[in-house]
Amino acid sequence: MELYELDLYEASKGIKDKKFSPKELFESCKKRIDSCEDKIHAFITRTDGTAPVTENPNGIFAGVPTVLKDNLCTNGIRTTAASKILGNWKPPYDATAWKYLREAGAVLMGKVNMDEFAMGNTCGNSAFGPTHNPNDISRVPGGSSGGSAAAVSAGYVPFSLGSDTGGSIRQPASYCGVYGMKPTYGMVSRYGLISYGSSLDQIGPFARTIRDLQLVMSVLAQYDPMDSSCFREKNPDFTHNEDASIKGKRIALVKEFQNFTLDAPIAEAMKKTQKVLENNGAVITEVSLPVVSKYAVACYYALAMSEAHTNLERYDGVRYGYTVNDAAGIKEMFERVRSYGFGSEVKSRIIAGTCLTEPSRCDEYYVAATKVRTLIAQEFIRAFGECDFILQPVTPSLPHKIGEEDEDAMKGYETDLYTLPVNLAGLPGLSFFTGYDDATKLPVGLQLIGPRWSDSEILNAGMILERHLGSPKIANGGVK
Amino acid sequence: MSELTFTPVIGIEIHIRLKTDTKIFCACSTDTDAPANTNICPVCMGLPGSLPRLNHNVVEKGMLAGMALHCTVQPRSLFFRKSYFYPDLPKGHQISQCDLPVVADGYIEVHDAEGKLKKIRVNHLHLEEDAAAMHHSASDGRLEGASTSYVDYNRAGMPLGEIVSEPDISSSAEAVEYAMNLQRRVRYAGASDADLDKGMMRFDANVSLKCSDGRWGRKVEVKNMNSFRALERAIEFEIKRQKKILQSGGEVLQETRHWNDAKGVTTASRVKEFYRKFIVEPDLPPLIVNQEWIDRVTAMMPEMPDVRANRYVHDMGLTQEAADILTDDKNTADYFEACVKAGANPVRAANWVRTEVLRVLNEMQKKISEFSIKPEVLAEIVRRVDDRKLSTTQAKEVFDYMCANDSGLDDAVKKLGITEGGVAGNALVEIIANVIKANPDVLAEIQSGKDTKGKKFKFLQGLVMKESKGQAKPQEVVEALTAALKQ
Repeated sequence: MELYELDLYEASKGIKDKKFSPKELFESCKKRIDSCEDKIHAFITRTDGTAPVTENPNGIFAGVPTVLKDNLCTNGIRTTAASKILGNWKPPYDATAWKYLREAGAVLMGKVNMDEFAMGNTCGNSAFGPTHNPNDISRVPGGSSGGSAAAVSAGYVPFSLGSDTGGSIRQPASYCGVYGMKPTYGMVSRYGLISYGSSLDQIGPFARTIRDLQLVMSVLAQYDPMDSSCFREKNPDFTHNEDASIKGKRIALVKEFQNFTLDAPIAEAMKKTQKVLENNGAVITEVSLPVVSKYAVACYYALAMSEAHTNLERYDGVRYGYTVNDAAGIKEMFERVRSYGFGSEVKSRIIAGTCLTEPSRCDEYYVAATKVRTLIAQEFIRAFGECDFILQPVTPSLPHKIGEEDEDAMKGYETDLYTLPVNLAGLPGLSFFTGYDDATKLPVGLQLIGPRWSDSEILNAGMILERHLGSPKIANGGVK
Repeated sequence: MSELTFTPVIGIEIHIRLKTDTKIFCACSTDTDAPANTNICPVCMGLPGSLPRLNHNVVEKGMLAGMALHCTVQPRSLFFRKSYFYPDLPKGHQISQCDLPVVADGYIEVHDAEGKLKKIRVNHLHLEEDAAAMHHSASDGRLEGASTSYVDYNRAGMPLGEIVSEPDISSSAEAVEYAMNLQRRVRYAGASDADLDKGMMRFDANVSLKCSDGRWGRKVEVKNMNSFRALERAIEFEIKRQKKILQSGGEVLQETRHWNDAKGVTTASRVKEFYRKFIVEPDLPPLIVNQEWIDRVTAMMPEMPDVRANRYVHDMGLTQEAADILTDDKNTADYFEACVKAGANPVRAANWVRTEVLRVLNEMQKKISEFSIKPEVLAEIVRRVDDRKLSTTQAKEVFDYMCANDSGLDDAVKKLGITEGGVAGNALVEIIANVIKANPDVLAEIQSGKDTKGKKFKFLQGLVMKESKGQAKPQEVVEALTAALKQ
């Protein structure tokens, strides 16, 4: 067994028990990266040239390597959001989430790939080229946090951070066969996360065990005065508890979703998972989410694009990132910087956002969407009066092949139906591994969501599922 | 056909810099004297990933300013993103409360053309961040045509309150009085220094004309006025310009115009405004102000200048004019009240402050807070005059000496050789004896009865006054000199 195969808990324990040194662990991970990266292409920037020194030798992550999605700011280390427009920008500060990990002793192996500005669900909309799924390198790893999911799946690092605006943690976690947690909005500080849809964005972890997610969440979930949307209550308890039970918990399926078709492996996983839940004393029920099923997709894109286009107004070439020096005037400078700097998906969302908030349409789209969002949040509150968790797919199908993206962009948007209502209502959602599909050998993931601030309870339920469904294996990463 | 008449309809938007130590959304200093681009951080530079966080002191100053304008604090207000592309705007949008402000519905009183008091309604005051300051190499100081432009982000994120009036103003004179009153009141409230020279108060005016034939000219927004004089001239220019267009049957375009102070004209703005509905700032929660907070800020509100002036007139017997002058600046009024508290007669203290104190401060280019003569000491001077220990002339001499030499009261009296209570009694008798002795011929003339018109007597009297350095009381000199001549 190689050291890189250890999960976060084992790696951290091994270092503390002096079974191996942080340097040995680092070298093992680096070797693993070196052997797979040609095939997977998860990194945008590698920072593993020399073994980094842990900032806190007594921290719970002392000496454990990690990677960050490249929309998390890292002091002095290039941060691109997978866009040309940021050029070689090196932030003068650390994102709070990374600061917390760093202070707990984690060491950085690099910044990983994503869809540009987190817009996309394939990790193919990147100025740095696509990332490949370590389970089958001809397939997409999902997105937008595809690099973070692939790096954990391929055994580069035991855990990583991504961000989720409409499913960008849960969908790649499911595609790559790892666990991914989208925390309650406000649970993790967004300070230093390059914004896409500010009211939807949330940072969260990827790992190969639920216990590891609990460890990372215990460090991430702290109040940060730098983010005004961050919770102020006392820190939630993410302590791993083997005795946690789901006995008597009501776990609901969404009535309206039953009409949608799922690929066979996912439908089977749903059945298998319900059985596990029932065998452990949970009660399977049904809730109705009519507004969610009808309007969530339209509502989500109206809000996300409206917020995104204002978040992206700052990229003008004046202060940082890509710029031109020979423009005839300021207008030409803005036009050239933004025309060259942004990729086509980002441009189309900026244009859509501009149109959705344009005065003659604003009430009909942006304002209407904010109202629908309130209805959606209320609908979930009502639903969680009738159940403790909702079980649903992450996506209706398994990862497709790279280059086989659907011609119809709107269909790509609709596959997000299972993930994005969670962001609209600010709920926590866990993407968990259920096993491998017999035919394709691809991992199959599902999703458990709960009311706001139920993150630790969801993880407890996830632990029981992991115990009965099994933990994912490290993917071969294209290496035979 | 009767001659057409035009009624100006004017609304004013005033930006004031709210007086806080740090910026509105980050902890950077608001020091205006710092070298360019030194008071900056990821937040006010709008760096990717940074998030705004509201400075609650800014909210408090906004509430104080609003209360000073008789506004009501709104329990819930919101921040929005107001988008436009310009290098002075780090995020490409300004965070502003525009649509749902923290305070609303107030008024300021001004005098109309007939001298009657008139209320100008204040629609609201909203909080927002300032943009960076730009310096262009072009001769007209504007971006277009400049070969090089510099941006100083120290100003980005400075806290502003934008105060929007209803279109209740009918003349440039009313506009200026409105602006001056507003300045005085926000200064009183401690909400803003509103220093025009430092760009802490800036004006935009919306001007339109209502014509007696029923036509109503479109609203023209005039920007870039940085002094009361510019505000007055810009409005007058715009009224004249629009009148001319309407008189010739033309139509006034709805547009934004730029005031050129050097040329004294308004010109159509070359940049088209990008109108867009604002989206809610998702990084800031709604601003909730509870009653407890309102009560706390209300308790911080000082007495406003008009209320104070009324009190001076009714309780202290000052004239309205004196009361207005004293209350124009809060520190001056505080100084005056400290004098009165220290025992000075209010009317005489008021005269001293408004004439001598303000004159000296003006000469020395000092603020009253820097004035060397403390109010208690001025009260003592006033009292000594009342007690006839010092003549008014002497008191002024002493006062000037104290100002010039930074000396204490008793010290000044001594240095000036003043005998308190004046030269009288034996001292006076002695001076008279010496004067008579030195002028035997005059004495002889008087005693021989030739001084029928009393000229010679006046001559001696003058000499005595001179010898006493003006410290003898004229009546006593007459009496003592008469007595001495009879001997």
